Amino acid sequence: MILEPILPTILSVRRIPNAHPDVLRAYGADPARHASLGLLTCDQDDPTYVALDEATKQANVEVVYARSFYAGSAHASGRLSGEILGVIAASDPDEIDEGLKAVVRCLEHDACFYSADDTGSIAVFPHVIASLGHYLSAQAGLAPASSMAYLVAPPMEGSLGLDAALKAADVVAAKIFAPPTETNFTAAFLSGELTACQAAAEAYAETVVDVANRPKA
Amino acid sequence: MSVTRKLIADLRLRLGHADPMAPPPPLPEIARPPQRVFPSRRERSAFAASASKHTTALVGIGAVGTRYATDVVLQFQAELAVAHGAVGAELPDDWAQQNGLLPLQSRVGNHREFLLRPDLGRRLDEESRRRLEERAQKDVDVQPILADGLSAVACMGSGLRLLEAFSTACRGRGLSVGTPICAKFARVWLEDEIGEVVRAKVACILLGERPGLGTGDGLSAYMVYQPSIGKTDGERNMISNIHPRGMPPEVAGTRLALLAEAMIRQRVSGVELDLTGLASQLGEAAGGGYRAPQERVRLVEVLT
Repeated sequence: MILEPILPTILSVRRIPNAHPDVLRAYGADPARHASLGLLTCDQDDPTYVALDEATKQANVEVVYARSFYAGSAHASGRLSGEILGVIAASDPDEIDEGLKAVVRCLEHDACFYSADDTGSIAVFPHVIASLGHYLSAQAGLAPASSMAYLVAPPMEGSLGLDAALKAADVVAAKIFAPPTETNFTAAFLSGELTACQAAAEAYAETVVDVANRPKA
Repeated sequence: MSVTRKLIADLRLRLGHADPMAPPPPLPEIARPPQRVFPSRRERSAFAASASKHTTALVGIGAVGTRYATDVVLQFQAELAVAHGAVGAELPDDWAQQNGLLPLQSRVGNHREFLLRPDLGRRLDEESRRRLEERAQKDVDVQPILADGLSAVACMGSGLRLLEAFSTACRGRGLSVGTPICAKFARVWLEDEIGEVVRAKVACILLGERPGLGTGDGLSAYMVYQPSIGKTDGERNMISNIHPRGMPPEVAGTRLALLAEAMIRQRVSGVELDLTGLASQLGEAAGGGYRAPQERVRLVEVLT
C-alpha cells in the first residue's frame, strides 16, 4: 500500500521547570530570558521539526535546540533516543506545558512520513505548512506566517522529486539540503503561495512514488 | 484534516488507490472554557479587588494561565481604538460658524503639525488675531473659549453644553461674559493671547483632554486671572474629566463660574487662589478630597 501514513512515535517527553544556567546556555537558551526547558525525542526527525515550529505558534516558547541523530532511528543509541532531540525554552513552565502539548498534537495528527512503495522501505515527507512559526521561518530565511513546502525523501527519489516540484508550481527554493543529511536523506524548503506549495508537494510525492516503482526507467 | 493529509489522500485517489487512508487518531477533547472568564481570579488579591473599585485602571482583572482573559484583551483593544479615534479626529472648518461661535485658529497648519508642535498651538495666527480684535467684545469679566485640544470628539460632543452651562452660571453671578469663541488646533496657553486681546479679567479655555483608555470624550477647563502671554501653569486652575461618566458638564459649569468669581474677588489665580471657603461647593475640583470612582463602560460583552 503506497502513501500510507507512517506515524511517528514519541519516545520521551520531559520538562525541566527551572534549569541550571549552564544547561540553558549549553542548549542555546538565554538564562536572562529562559528558565524552563521542554525536551522531546521522536523516531522521525522532520515531523518533529515541523511540530516544534508549531509549538512556537501555540505558546510563548523558543526552539533553542533541535538536531537529528546520525544515520537515523534504525541506528539509535538507545530505545529512547530515536532520531531527534528537540528542546524548547520559555520563561515560564506553563508555557513549556502548552508548547509540548502543541508538539505532541502536531506529531499525532498532522506531520508524518508516508510510504512511497508497497514494502514501506521508502519514505517521503511532502509536508505543507500553511503558516510558518518563528523557528522554521528563521531556519528557512522566510517571514513568519508565510507558506512553505517541507520536502524530504531518500537521495535519488528526493533529487528527482525536487526538480519536479520546482517545475510544477510557482515556488522558489528557500533552502536545499543536498544528500546526505545526518539521517542520509535529502531535503528542501520551497517557498510560495499556499496553493503553489501544495501543488509542489503533490508533484514531489508523485515523483517519489514513480521513482520508487520504476527506479531504472 | 491537515493540509498535507488532504493533499496525500487526493494524490492516492489519483494514482488509483481507491480505498480510504487510515484516519488519524481522534483529536483530544478540548476542555470547555470556564463559565465566566472576566474576573476569575479577581478575589485572590484583596488589595487588587479593593483598588479596582476606585479606578477604571486595569487592576484586579484576573488571569487565565499566563495570559489575560479574552474579554479583557478585547475590551482593552476596543478602548485603545476609542482613544486613537479621538486623537486622530479633526474639528470641521465650518463647525464653529454652524454653532454661532467666533472661529479662530492657532498658527498650526494641519493636524499632524498640531500633534508635533505644541508651541505653534499656543499662538493665534495673524488672520484670527485680526478677526478677534474686530469682532469680539472687549473689557469683559470672563472670556470663555471652546477649543478642540487633543480631542475634537469631546469638543463636538459635550463642548457646547459645557460652554452654555458655564456662560449661564457666570451671568447668574453677575459677571459679564465675552463673545463665545471656538479655537481650532488649540493648546491650553492659547487662552493667554485671546484673553489679552479682549482685555478679559478671567480667560477660561474648555478643550478636549488627552484621550485615555475608553475616554475619548473628556473635556478639561483651564482658567487664568489677567491672561497675558507668559503666564505659567502655576497661575492656572483647572477641572478635568468633564464627561458624562465623570463630572457632568452642568456641574462643571457651575463650579467654573464659582472659581471665576473667586479669582476676580481675590485678584489672583492658580496656587495662590484661596479655596478653603469654597471646598464644599467645588467638590472634587477643590483637590485633595475623596474622588468618587468612575464607572468603566463595557465596550465588549463576552457571551458565556
